[in-house]
Amino acid sequence: MTDPRQVRGCQDHKFTRRALARASAKAVPIPAEALDGLDRFARDGGLTRRDAMKGGAGMVLMCAAAATLTPRSVMEAAAAQQAQAPDAPILVSLYLDGGNDGLNTLVPVADAQYRALRGPLALGDGTVALKDTNQFRWHPSLGKLAQLYDQGKVAVLPAVDYANPDQSHFNSVAYWRTGVVGPSQELTGWLGRTMDVLGAPDNPLQAVSISGDLDPVLRSRKAPVGSVYDPGAFDFWIPEVWGKGFDAAYREASRGRAKGGMKASRDAYANAFRMVDMLQPLKVDKEHPLPPTPVAYPDTDLGRDLRSAARIMGAGFGTRVVAVSTGGYDTHDDQLAEHADLLSDLSESLWAFQADIDARGLAQRVLVMIWSEFGRRPKANGTGTDHGAGGLLMLVGNRANGGIRSEFPGLSRLDDDDNLLVTTEFRTVYSSLLEQFMGVEAGRVLPAIDGARIPLVR
Amino acid sequence: MARITKSQREIERLLWRAGFGPRPHEAANLARRGRRATVEDLLRPRGRQVGGRPPRVEGAPLDPVNRWGHDALWWLDRAVRTRQPLAERMTLNWHDHWATSNQKVGDTKLMMQYYWALRTHSLGRFRTLAHAMLDNHAMQVWLDLTGSEKSAPNENFARELLELFTLGVNNGYTEKDIREAARAFTGFTRDWPSKKFGFDTARHDDGMKTVLGKRGRWKPHDIIDIAIDDPHHAPFLVTKLWGYFTPRPPSRRFVREMARTYRAARTDVRPVLRMILNHPAIYADLSSPDFVKPPVVFVAGMLRSLNRTVTDGSWSWMMGQMGQVPFYPPNVAGWPSNAEWMSAASARARFQAGSHVIEGWVKEGSVSAKQSPKAALAAARKACGDPVLTPLTSAVLARYAVRSVAGRTDDWEIKHYFPERQRVLRHLILAGPDAQVC
Repeated sequence: MTDPRQVRGCQDHKFTRRALARASAKAVPIPAEALDGLDRFARDGGLTRRDAMKGGAGMVLMCAAAATLTPRSVMEAAAAQQAQAPDAPILVSLYLDGGNDGLNTLVPVADAQYRALRGPLALGDGTVALKDTNQFRWHPSLGKLAQLYDQGKVAVLPAVDYANPDQSHFNSVAYWRTGVVGPSQELTGWLGRTMDVLGAPDNPLQAVSISGDLDPVLRSRKAPVGSVYDPGAFDFWIPEVWGKGFDAAYREASRGRAKGGMKASRDAYANAFRMVDMLQPLKVDKEHPLPPTPVAYPDTDLGRDLRSAARIMGAGFGTRVVAVSTGGYDTHDDQLAEHADLLSDLSESLWAFQADIDARGLAQRVLVMIWSEFGRRPKANGTGTDHGAGGLLMLVGNRANGGIRSEFPGLSRLDDDDNLLVTTEFRTVYSSLLEQFMGVEAGRVLPAIDGARIPLVR
Repeated sequence: MARITKSQREIERLLWRAGFGPRPHEAANLARRGRRATVEDLLRPRGRQVGGRPPRVEGAPLDPVNRWGHDALWWLDRAVRTRQPLAERMTLNWHDHWATSNQKVGDTKLMMQYYWALRTHSLGRFRTLAHAMLDNHAMQVWLDLTGSEKSAPNENFARELLELFTLGVNNGYTEKDIREAARAFTGFTRDWPSKKFGFDTARHDDGMKTVLGKRGRWKPHDIIDIAIDDPHHAPFLVTKLWGYFTPRPPSRRFVREMARTYRAARTDVRPVLRMILNHPAIYADLSSPDFVKPPVVFVAGMLRSLNRTVTDGSWSWMMGQMGQVPFYPPNVAGWPSNAEWMSAASARARFQAGSHVIEGWVKEGSVSAKQSPKAALAAARKACGDPVLTPLTSAVLARYAVRSVAGRTDDWEIKHYFPERQRVLRHLILAGPDAQVC
């Protein structure tokens, strides 16, 4: 039986506040005149493979060069952070907004129940084999991801969720973002708290969401974090103001000592202008077009956002965490066509991203965690699927411990809501990544975390 | 320019903390009436709730139910045009206190009813408001009251009632109280196809329950009264109210006095608000404010100070980037406060808000080359309602006023750069670091 709450939740979901904000942010580009007359000091921060081969110092040098041309202190924080840890790992959170259908992403073709439950949505023709198992096949759109898997660069975990899964988008995504299951007053995200442990007090680009408003997963208690919609056009701008005098005035007005709310206000402005300075090398305009990448990214929001992420990671800002999200996964109807398009975008974007970070010399440092707030109900509702449990989580990157890394419970026994049984808690994935990849004791980020870990990183 | 008196600065502080900032000349007029009399006016609003005409956004009236983003604009417009600032500000404060989000409710009509419940009782008895919240359909959906039945009581509302709405976290109740209260809250229903809400006695647990030491066959509304009658309630609520108006902690003695007043007034919040709004802490450090304006207050206040209304849809997503969209609090605990509002991302959004109001304001060629730097600054301050500026910002503005036009003598330069100076001065006054606090 279809729970009407879910139908309601989903109609609503297509127009979430964040989706609206993203759409609106697109509608208000920074005009070209705002980009004129600026001193610039580097064409692009993205390092080529040759730069990287000159030695790990390449990225640090870029920052040092930048420091001679901008207020020195501005770049020092990032340069220092980068210099201290030139090989520091970078975790990218890629959120598939809406509840990705894991069962039609990594298809359990060997499960006798799959065809019966999925009916017209069941996939068979064109699905792609995995090199080491016949239990699953990839969705036909995921050819590139399948190649990465066969190269050992993709770890997949079917049926990741939490006990008694909540099928509301709102609740479930809040639990995943905060890392706290159940109703809570937690306002910070688990990656924001990770930065509270790891971060510097003065580098807002150490954790970046590629978005207009800050991704809640990055909200921190004290560490500065930033959101950048487009690193090629991050600037402050006042209509009909040509000179940059306002910029200096704002900086001066943000510098004085203060306490309480006034201090918070001045510090926030100072950090925002620091971001402008740091992102200067990534600026894109007529004379400084986007540098080409080894493989062209798809011309999609996701392709553009992952390219932005790669540019920021490659620029030596000491970035440790990046958050990207992409929507449309709430496939209650017309799923066959919609899901194929979404996964094709995902696969092609990841392929281009992987080649890009490889060329930038970052491939050994970057791990992408692809997650969604829940999976979808095994039984199809006609042309689509309703909210389920036990979603598919994937890790992509050279250091991913490639292979199937959690138990798939099968479709013959389902939970009380006819959903996939949950075999792995998402917080176990978080704690494993924190300790095996980020080098942070999980208990410092995740309250009351148990000792379960999965080997997810090489 | 006329010197601004201390009493005028006090009125400005009051209007920011207890409303959405002054309209042009409002503070000067009210200063003549006096601060205490102004507090009384705020506590006893009369006449129309909003002034002026309903705005048109992109050529059409606001359509909060059907157009995305217009719900938030509708709330913002109420704040901008309010003639009853404290009632309207308390409505926003109660929205934070009884935080309910359309993100889960998913029905803007229900959210509008929720707004009116808050607005109607914004300056009345807390007890009446609490009962109205229990009956409110948005709240019933938000905290899973609908569908909760005796075989499986949902604890969500019971927990938040004690933890967030009436007593405070870990303040005088136990997990057992929550479970027992949850039993009393069973029976609410919602029929999805017809959208009808109801109460089904067959689904209600009518057995004996013990909640906060009181034993009986409690029904839903009984629990509201039991929680409000608990001795932990009054100190919790008056302290929370205090926090909406000043970042400084209240003295223990003053909390006791407020709690006594609140009880004596049978949970009418007005006598407590009177005590708070007349307290010296509200008027401390008039020249160096330290309380961050919530985004809705910042935006509404900026539009009010310029005598403008909500004329386009961008405010909706801009408030989102600042971190506060009415009808969409981040969770049941409401929004952050004071310093927590400010981040690099929200500062950038607040800057952008300044750019938005600057657009098209000062025309090219509209400023004479004879305007001295001093006169330029005076003109800019006046245009922006002459708000409080710290010595640092005043000095920065003065330097900029000189620097920005130095050597600009060609006709085309005068035509552009003198107006440009005005734009930047006004921007920094309206959206700079000082403008974020009150």
